[in-house]
Amino acid sequence: MKDERGRTRVVRTRNEFEGEVMEQLALVQDEDAEAWPEGAQLGIVGRAHRRVEGAAKVTGRARYTHDVRLPGMLHARILRSPHPRARVRHVDPSRALALPGVRAVLHRFNTPKTAFRGEETIFREEVRFVGDEVAAVAADTEETADAALDLIVVDYEVLPHVVDLEEAIDDAAPRIDEKGNVHDADRHERGDVKKAFASADVVVEGTYRTSTQLHNCLETHGAVAAWDGDQLTVYESTQHVFGVRQGLHAALHLPLGKIRVLCDHMGGGFGSKGGIGKYTVIAALFARELGAPVRCVLDRREENVAAGNRSATLQRVKIAGKDGRITAIAHDSWSNVGQARWVADPTGPTKGLYDVPSILAHAHRVVTNTGSLAAFRAPGYVEGTFALESAIDELADGMGVDPLALRRHHAEGAIDPVSKMRYSLKRLVDCYDIGAAEIGWSRRKRGGLRGSAPGLRRGLGMASQLWSGGGTPPAYATVHLNPDGTAVVRIGTQDIGTGTRTVLAQVCAEELGIDVRDVRVEIGDTDSTYAPISAGSLTVASITPAVRLAAKDAREQLLDVAAGVLEVGRSELRVEGGALVSRGGRTPIAKVFEDLDNYTVIGRGSRSPNPDDLVLKTFGAHFAEVEVDRTTGAVLVERVVAVHDVGRIVNPLTARSQVEGGVIQALGFALSEERVVDKPTGRVLTRSLETYKVPTVRDVPRIVVRFVDVPDTAANNVGAKGLGEPPIIPAAAAVANAVANALGVRIRHLPLTRRRVLDALAAAS
Amino acid sequence: MKPFAYVRATSVAEAARLLGAGSAAMAGGTDLLGLMKGGIAAPARVVDLTGIDGLRGWSRERGAGLRIGALTPLVDLETSDQLARHLPIVRAALADTATLQLRNAGTVGGNLLQRNRCWYFRDEAIPCWLKGGTRCFASEGENEHHAVIGTARGCNRVAPSDLAPALIAHDARVTLVGARGTRSIALADLYTDPALHSRDEHTIKRGEILTEVHVPEAGLQRRGTYLKAMERKTWSFAVVSVAAAARVRDGKLRNPRIVLGGVAPVPWRVEAAEAEIDGHPFSDELARRAADALLADAAPLAKNGYKVPLAKELVRRALAAIAAA
Repeated sequence: MKDERGRTRVVRTRNEFEGEVMEQLALVQDEDAEAWPEGAQLGIVGRAHRRVEGAAKVTGRARYTHDVRLPGMLHARILRSPHPRARVRHVDPSRALALPGVRAVLHRFNTPKTAFRGEETIFREEVRFVGDEVAAVAADTEETADAALDLIVVDYEVLPHVVDLEEAIDDAAPRIDEKGNVHDADRHERGDVKKAFASADVVVEGTYRTSTQLHNCLETHGAVAAWDGDQLTVYESTQHVFGVRQGLHAALHLPLGKIRVLCDHMGGGFGSKGGIGKYTVIAALFARELGAPVRCVLDRREENVAAGNRSATLQRVKIAGKDGRITAIAHDSWSNVGQARWVADPTGPTKGLYDVPSILAHAHRVVTNTGSLAAFRAPGYVEGTFALESAIDELADGMGVDPLALRRHHAEGAIDPVSKMRYSLKRLVDCYDIGAAEIGWSRRKRGGLRGSAPGLRRGLGMASQLWSGGGTPPAYATVHLNPDGTAVVRIGTQDIGTGTRTVLAQVCAEELGIDVRDVRVEIGDTDSTYAPISAGSLTVASITPAVRLAAKDAREQLLDVAAGVLEVGRSELRVEGGALVSRGGRTPIAKVFEDLDNYTVIGRGSRSPNPDDLVLKTFGAHFAEVEVDRTTGAVLVERVVAVHDVGRIVNPLTARSQVEGGVIQALGFALSEERVVDKPTGRVLTRSLETYKVPTVRDVPRIVVRFVDVPDTAANNVGAKGLGEPPIIPAAAAVANAVANALGVRIRHLPLTRRRVLDALAAAS
Repeated sequence: MKPFAYVRATSVAEAARLLGAGSAAMAGGTDLLGLMKGGIAAPARVVDLTGIDGLRGWSRERGAGLRIGALTPLVDLETSDQLARHLPIVRAALADTATLQLRNAGTVGGNLLQRNRCWYFRDEAIPCWLKGGTRCFASEGENEHHAVIGTARGCNRVAPSDLAPALIAHDARVTLVGARGTRSIALADLYTDPALHSRDEHTIKRGEILTEVHVPEAGLQRRGTYLKAMERKTWSFAVVSVAAAARVRDGKLRNPRIVLGGVAPVPWRVEAAEAEIDGHPFSDELARRAADALLADAAPLAKNGYKVPLAKELVRRALAAIAAA
């Protein structure tokens, strides 16, 4: 029955991950299906469907990594550096080891070499931030392990440090990296910036600052490791089970086949759970040494010092306008990456969002003695969009033009100004039209509007969004049919809380012709077929096409079987609502298999490469309406209208939820979230959810969600693109622009706390 | 957390006897648990007061004022419509106090005796003055949440309670019972100033238990209001809060009280500010004068200057609200 499909060929493909474009080799393994066209009559895809795991979650049945309790399991806790920079000269664990219940202590003098993010060890000789890992204890209980940490005696040689971004840039700061504290990162130049500035009508320059944002995943980072002989099983709260497997392979020099990584349900990652952590390695090492499963999960305070963050940035933007258009933008950025070896480039939107002829963008990585950055939902783009979109509004003010009208001049281009290639689909202008109508943009007045009470000012603001989201191969899925007509989708992806299980069930059900309730989705296991990281907004666009092909394969095999069993011509049969339908009537799938016992239909599908001549991007625009109290500094965001162009919407319910979550997280970044570090001691002062202010439900404004919802049929066979990151990108900038519109005063430093608002108003008057 | 002994007392006398050196009293435990987990408090013995009868609930006797038992859960005060008629400021003050879970567990006595939220004080690794060290780390550090007034010595913490300013504005008193007897003091006097070189935040003595809050009849005659500015809409300690209360007649505020939270190490009150408005025909101008007088001695640190105009604005609004009601 198999055709010639088995033949595999190698092609080049363009993939994009978190703003970085890569030319990669890809295998074409299956013949791809035609994308469902615009207007296709689909019964399940495109319709709201509640999360398939919703009931398990709200009733507490869903098992998270934190819930994993294995027989005989031990607990590990980590000793962290109290100094922002110091050399570990000696570690004496003897008193800790003497505490009843303590099983072992790991530190830099007794731990085998374990490659970790470019270093050879998980316990550095030079600890480089308050919270850096110094040692770990395994004990019978978490409390005993915790108590033992205080008994480990460490001899530190304290070294000079710097924690603040702007101090680290200063020549007077201690040099904490042998190559200096400031490192050149990405640089992009096009057109003639100098000439454009010289001949401009208006030039506006501003320095913008954003603060360090902490992920604060509800489920903190953690892992449970267990060995069975030489086979390692790790339960990890992760966005990439295969990435964790790769990390363990590198750290412990184990064959991939000896490692299995599991992640059933997961309490948020936002980019910070892309691979192993030191806690994973610690759990695995202890488990091997002690012959028992070991659990190592971070507490909230550790989470907020050592589990990653969005870099604080300093950004200088100079922007030129002439004849009602933007002619040039120069954008320099410096990001506090802590100890990270990469930087989340904030200049991405400046380079690619608008079709502006002359651009000079230059990003810098600044190292400090603070916890390292980790990817955080549109890393770089959130920070950069704030600076860029603020500067464009300032230019519009300077030119005396409407800021949306100014953007429209640069939003229509069909060619990506960076790669010079054509977009597969771009509906940014549609986003403007929908959003402007919904918010009532025509009411916007320069200098703002009168508020609802004396002392209150009202303002409107908007900002645009650019992100990738086209997805990437490789990704593989199988769909097998049970004899009762139910199906199981198996794929090595993970649901990080976005609704992945649900959209996969929908795509499978749609293609296979069965009900969503009859599809079970098995994910979060490296013993399944490979799927990429759930990050970079690439999940849906990467894996739904593979699942669709697997379901299609299963359906075609089912038709073959049914044609034989029912003795009907194959072409006269179709699968619909769990039954084989022909002119002769309906036969449930279970009936077809009645006499076939346990013969099983197994469909397989793989993600085809991306088109090599098109650029896949997502676009959007947010509009915010705010009221600001000039006398108390309170910013009230009344409404955010979020419009996105992300191809086909597979599930409007989970899609809306993604947008709401992105807007809320952006509002935290815009208004209240800020890691505060004490400079002399290097200690993070905002370690708890009391002092680190994430928005509460009462802080959430009305969020109006709209989608252009036109499938990107050139992108993949589902026509969907990613939506994880787009909704966090423009919201803070839109709010900042609305606040500036309301007050007539521009605050160039996020978050817009009462302090910043009142100080800015005092300085302006 | 350090291991500790746990005893559940069944009478005030027993609790007083048990509360020797190294012991800590616990009611709802919402503050003590955080202090212990954070390594700030390490009592050898925790004396649980919740087994003591007779310290829950409130009562109003005509002519004798209002009595609130110290073990009354905050949520009981917040949700009582009857209490809201006698002393509406309590509901206003509790509306944005912590979370519902904390208000369920937290008690009146515990709220009044909670320790401050300074992020240097709450970091066990910081040897600040209040914990026996030599200096305040906030004075030259990250001090946007710290005190702008009343910090003559050593410590720039701010009084965190929402209930304290509200009750002080109605002249509340508290009863403290110890092995050597019972005393009643003005609630305002429960708080102690770093200017007095005291490394305590409260004047309650070892072995004493706060058993009751008493709002005298005169206090109940005042009309009061409570306003709180936070860094988000709820679930936050005050950046600045104000409780104001006065008898209102013929457009005049008589015998007014204005008490600020979040600006000074103690609930902040200045009699001269109250005198500015006492008995005069109320006007916005008068309210502003009172606000200026209340903060006349403000000496902000590098990052908390914004609290001064914010506090003045809240005072103005609170007074206007009382006058207009």
